[in-house]
Amino acid sequence: MKNQANPWLTSNLWVLGLGMLPAILLIGILLYFTAWAFAFSFTDLALVGRKSVEWSWVGLENFERLFTRRGFLESLWTTVIFVFFSAIVGQSVLGFLLAAALRGSRSMLRSVVEVCIMLGWLLPDIVAAFLWSATTAQTGLINQLIITPLGLPPVNFINDYALPVVTIANIWKGTAWSYLLFSAALDSVSREVVEAAKVDGATPLQRIWLVQLPIIRPHIATNMLFITIWTFTYFPLIFAMTGGGPGRQTETLAVFLYNQSFARGNLGFGSAISVAMLAIVGFLSLFYLRLLREPK
Amino acid sequence: MSDVTLRGIRKSYGALEVVHGVDLDIKSGEFVVFVGPSGCGKSTLLRMIAGLEPITGGEISIGGRVVNDVPSPQRGIAMVFQSYALYPHMSVYENMAFGLKLAKTPKAEVDQRVREAARILQIEAYLDRMPKALSGGQRQRVAIGRAIVRDPKVFLFDEPLSNLDASLRAQTRVEIAKLHDTLDATMIYVTHDQVEAMTLADRIVVLNSGRIEQVGTPLELYREPVNTFVAGFIASQRMNFIDVSATGNGLQLPGKKMLALSHPQLSQVRTLGVRPEHLELADATTADLSGKLAVIEQFGEYALAYVELPSGEAITIKLEGAPDLQLHDTIHIKVPVGVIHLFDEAGRALR
Repeated sequence: MKNQANPWLTSNLWVLGLGMLPAILLIGILLYFTAWAFAFSFTDLALVGRKSVEWSWVGLENFERLFTRRGFLESLWTTVIFVFFSAIVGQSVLGFLLAAALRGSRSMLRSVVEVCIMLGWLLPDIVAAFLWSATTAQTGLINQLIITPLGLPPVNFINDYALPVVTIANIWKGTAWSYLLFSAALDSVSREVVEAAKVDGATPLQRIWLVQLPIIRPHIATNMLFITIWTFTYFPLIFAMTGGGPGRQTETLAVFLYNQSFARGNLGFGSAISVAMLAIVGFLSLFYLRLLREPK
Repeated sequence: MSDVTLRGIRKSYGALEVVHGVDLDIKSGEFVVFVGPSGCGKSTLLRMIAGLEPITGGEISIGGRVVNDVPSPQRGIAMVFQSYALYPHMSVYENMAFGLKLAKTPKAEVDQRVREAARILQIEAYLDRMPKALSGGQRQRVAIGRAIVRDPKVFLFDEPLSNLDASLRAQTRVEIAKLHDTLDATMIYVTHDQVEAMTLADRIVVLNSGRIEQVGTPLELYREPVNTFVAGFIASQRMNFIDVSATGNGLQLPGKKMLALSHPQLSQVRTLGVRPEHLELADATTADLSGKLAVIEQFGEYALAYVELPSGEAITIKLEGAPDLQLHDTIHIKVPVGVIHLFDEAGRALR
């Protein structure tokens, strides 16, 4: 079992090394960037000006600023709300309901719905952001079609309800992924097991809740892991729709990081934010990976 | 009161009709086996009785009550699936208790019924295990156990042994037969394996392309098949069919030999059927058929000889013991008149 590889390969260290080169390069670059961000989180490096050249070590000052100054904790809270409602509740639950409902339905209806939700996923973030801004603005489609005909004064949704609008936009954008993953997961549940539950007297809801959901639990955990990480660091849609505003209502950590690093030019502080984000996402991943484990 | 009655049962998928009007009476406590080649509609028929498949036409009653529109759990049936269909996330105990818990049965009764079923099936030792940790045979017992705890009027088995290996299949077959004796419940069993059908059934229902070909006890089907399909399907070794032409006082066999015979419908006979175990070896002068030995399979207790006639037809003979025959030798065969089956042009048996 030990030496199954080609003996010419295993005996020739130079060839072996050459073959490993791309992997070493890739891992090296990944480590380099992580180490770079980590190292500069202890400095006052700036994007422009004197401190972009003559930066100095400032110890844990950047990390202290995360908790002492306004911004980080507020953004973290905004991000938590955004992730919870748009990814965990919105995309995941809606994706599952769609997958469960469309399973076994006629192919025509299924195709139409699939195409619709895939369109949201495939549309470029910037285009989607523009459409959502335009639709929810004071003169947008929703006001024109619904609010004004009802005789109500027009509402500037994107301004007055910024976070809910951004959250709904992200649900619309990201549900396709969860739908596809749950569709595949439900297909892996044997038809006979579901029929056995039917004969055992389980109602449709009980069949989902007591049989199908527990069986696809590892898939649920995998999906949660992905969409939590993605949504936690998601940037383009929110930035293009609101830029983090109005005020700081939609300033998630990714937007906060961008504003601090590039709008204000505090690269050192920005690095500290990214290190903190890495730590939070890492912690969440560990939690989900525990869920993935088989029950004893 | 757990007889099952089918009246003109039809099943269509769109314009395609797969079951064409099946009538059948199954008596209470009877063990009935649906057998037929794949695609003959036997599983569809079982699933319609189970309530897993809507009925296109006709009427199904269980215990005197029409159940066409009654959902599965209220039909008083339990089903054992081909893939066992155990709930992978529940222990053996929970698997068996699931249906009772859903029906809000008191805990003590659930426990008592699960343990009773486990005792009957000798799976008490595995009650806390997950299905994953069980062998195929053990899973099959759990699946049967899950059916028993529901205390159904009718047991439905959908090819329950086809995922087991040969020796386990034989063993489980005997256990199902014992179970039927113990529980005294009506059982309907679907299989494509005619050995299971012959050994388990009180009555066999032979299905072909969505129609019943014949219903009868295993021996009735073996002795008096109504057509060439049933004759060829039932029994371990397929019946030999020989094209013959009728003359005034017998049948003209391939190789110009005559088989002297008198039968009221002799003129209609087109095919002669004879089972491999009924053919006998003979010498050249008394033989009815002669041909070359193409293949011989030795099983020790018996041997199967495949003989090619000069006309191109192949005949199988089952010989007791271990006969000493050489390949490519000429084999002479006697056809005993008492055990032959005669079929007309449409393949119907002539009696």
